[in-house]
Amino acid sequence: MLLFRAEEHIDRWCLARDLSPGATLTPEQGWQLAYAWYKDKVKPDWRRHTLEEAEALLAATGLTSSFWNLRGE
Amino acid sequence: MTPPAGPALEALARDVRLYVFRQAAETGRVPQPPQIAQALRHSQTEIQGALKHLAAGKVLILAPNDGNIWAANPFCAVPSGFRVEAGGKTYWGICIWDALGIAAALGKDAVIRAPCGDCGEAMTLEIRDRKLVRSEGIIHFAVPAHHWWDNIGFT
Repeated sequence: MLLFRAEEHIDRWCLARDLSPGATLTPEQGWQLAYAWYKDKVKPDWRRHTLEEAEALLAATGLTSSFWNLRGE
Repeated sequence: MTPPAGPALEALARDVRLYVFRQAAETGRVPQPPQIAQALRHSQTEIQGALKHLAAGKVLILAPNDGNIWAANPFCAVPSGFRVEAGGKTYWGICIWDALGIAAALGKDAVIRAPCGDCGEAMTLEIRDRKLVRSEGIIHFAVPAHHWWDNIGFT
């Protein structure tokens, strides 16, 4: 997951690697997702998110397209 | 000595997890097997087994081939382009998501510096009071979510 200055920089990066463009987030969406995902990681009672919990975190950030499907279906 | 298994392995893995993440958060440095073994008074073989168990559970990421920790994600064990300054310490993430994750895990104000993946120009993001108060650029995920762990290094 990289940070780019603008869309055309993403396009150039993908073209140079023969990759299809993936999905983009605003920094605000990235912060919301990172906060929800990692806020408890250092705490003693941390546990890995269940699949359903991870899906809910993505959905809460507005990430609902097939790109964000964790089940591989 | 027979390496721990079952409940003993689970217990050791928990101790290793707590030590590794606490050290990473408090010092900015991710401890490696010799330090963990010394701190927890276990053999390096036992610690390696616990780390493999944690890596299999996707709690952390081991470097290929040598058994060292590459990332107790979000904390990267080696300097990277994703630099986080928080609480007077320097941390590194393996990607922009983890750099933001470091600020989240620490629960502290943070300044993140990251290069554009294309041109390398530096950008700055800042977290204050759990809010993103300064940002630049666009985050790009190249790999669909269900393939993230196929090759986490590329992801």
